[in-house]
Amino acid sequence: MKPLGIIVCVKVVPKPEEVSVNPETRTLDRAKARSELNPPDMNAIEMALALRERYGGSVSLLSMGPPFAAPYLQVGLAMGADHAYLLSDRLFGGADTLPTSFALARGIQKIGEWDLVLCGEESSDGATGQVPAGIAEWLDCSQATYAMDLALLPDGRLRAEREIRGGHEVIAVSLPAVVSVKLGVNEPRFMDMELRRTAPAVTVWNASDLGVDPASLGFEGSPTVVGAVWQAKSPERRREFLDGTLQEKARLLAERIRALVSF
Amino acid sequence: MSESASVCVLDDVAWQEVTAATMGAAAPCFQCGVCTAVCPWGLVQKEPVSIRRLIRMAQLRVDGWGEAIWLCTTCGLCEARCPRGVPVSEIILALRRLAWERRAAPKGLPTMLWAIHWDGNPWDQPPSQRQAWAKGLDLKPFAVGDDLLLYVGCTAAYDRRSQRIARSLVTLLRSAGVSFGILPDEPCCGESVRMVGQEAYLAELVEGNARRFKEAGVRTLVTVSPHCLDMFRTQYPSWDGFRPLHYTEYLAELLDGGRLSFARELPVTVTYHDPCYLGRRHGIYDPPRKLLAAIPGLTLVELPSSREDALCCGGGGGRMWLETHAGERFADLRVREAQGTGAEWLVTSCPFCILCLEDSAKVLGSEQLKVVDVTELAVRALGDGR
Repeated sequence: MKPLGIIVCVKVVPKPEEVSVNPETRTLDRAKARSELNPPDMNAIEMALALRERYGGSVSLLSMGPPFAAPYLQVGLAMGADHAYLLSDRLFGGADTLPTSFALARGIQKIGEWDLVLCGEESSDGATGQVPAGIAEWLDCSQATYAMDLALLPDGRLRAEREIRGGHEVIAVSLPAVVSVKLGVNEPRFMDMELRRTAPAVTVWNASDLGVDPASLGFEGSPTVVGAVWQAKSPERRREFLDGTLQEKARLLAERIRALVSF
Repeated sequence: MSESASVCVLDDVAWQEVTAATMGAAAPCFQCGVCTAVCPWGLVQKEPVSIRRLIRMAQLRVDGWGEAIWLCTTCGLCEARCPRGVPVSEIILALRRLAWERRAAPKGLPTMLWAIHWDGNPWDQPPSQRQAWAKGLDLKPFAVGDDLLLYVGCTAAYDRRSQRIARSLVTLLRSAGVSFGILPDEPCCGESVRMVGQEAYLAELVEGNARRFKEAGVRTLVTVSPHCLDMFRTQYPSWDGFRPLHYTEYLAELLDGGRLSFARELPVTVTYHDPCYLGRRHGIYDPPRKLLAAIPGLTLVELPSSREDALCCGGGGGRMWLETHAGERFADLRVREAQGTGAEWLVTSCPFCILCLEDSAKVLGSEQLKVVDVTELAVRALGDGR
């Protein structure tokens, strides 16, 4: 069985609890927010590293984002990825899922030999889940979404166990393939500090490196029109504490519940 | 070839790794087995954890320590009794470090480490909420010239129960007229990182933190948790005037200096649980007792095992981040001991101990026994209507 060339697409996202919505620009205000690697992408990296341990090969990370994303890719290198590529250019800014998946697909082609692209199921800030499928379309290859487990079959196809409503589905797809990985399917390994010191630098490519028409990138290449954006209010907890013995507390609690539930 | 328990294959690579990791610390052990006999796991499991065997394996530099190395709470009871002064906890932490290299660390620990990396605390709480514990207290950032930096620590900052300890401490410091501040972006001291054997990551954390404390002009640093205290005393570089103290030590100094006093009578009987990292690790047995003795009307009865002999609550050594099965919790035994003394309050001075003991008190249905921190009792005794 030949070694697997795996590319993991990752996104640096603002920490959800630290972003607010700017009603004028209809965008997320992330100026004060700290960032992290999108949580399901961490699961995708772990799955890629586990596949490499099992079948051999290499793991490359690919991201599109501002230059500040580079240190986050280094986190993935410290987990054990072999290479990291960052697509960074003002022309990429303001992209919806169409030019995002397009730029990532061009980045994947530029990296060269690959068998499998892994993505997190969706990003915690955009939450569309459209990018993995978009990449597969641009690359014209097979895809599987919401994968929980992957393995190579003797015939060279990829066996994917995926979550569907009400159960699991096992499918086989031919390689090359793009697979999105379900959030929480594994526990991402922690960084190896030795790798953190010795990891290679992140390769940065701009729009001209990809050799694509700028009109198909970023805001200009995005057909999405945002009609309105608002911030959902989270309910305030009442912070009431019940006093008394266990029995008394149970009785008080039951009274509260009864008042809220109509029989 | 069939496996035999009495046969072990010596492996050169493992030999070198274990030697390097433990730095020969296991060598003085002459295999008397006192460690195994006193290990608290023997009180809750049919088979005790054979610390002696682990140390022998470290001497022989063989692999196969299994999950036993993750059970250790680093309570230090075995070290206190060891006739050869073997640093058992350090050896176990070194073996944990090797377990990471073999990808044999228990589930859940990588997640805890990621929480420290992304959020700066092992509780997986957002950094923006780090000062939620101080809501309404109007605390100021630490400035040079303050008497001390109050280092709250992750548990007292985020855990709702433990927040009450930090708030009580603020009240006590203010009643004594102490000038103090907090660090607005207080970092995690790294205790949990050290306890799970991530020494290289710890070195990175400590270096950055120490620089920040030093640049901020920190000299006297008072911790809420004995675990943070241990970090600052044993893992951080020292600089001119750097003086890490546990709050019980600092409050006892205030008592001695006449700056803190308790006017209100508390006619209660209490018993005191010595936290391992305060007592056995740093010999801080008297300051908390001195504080209790200064409260008018209060009677202290000692637990059957106290001071150097105190039984661990079970929360140290990274065990806060691993599940301990019902029926195997040391804190259950400790709560029963406390009930046996007839005390109304079980007092201690460590957030981990509070969490473990209070959980056990709840599970055992011993709600009459209240688990409180020294600060919480002391605030009640201030006597100015608080």
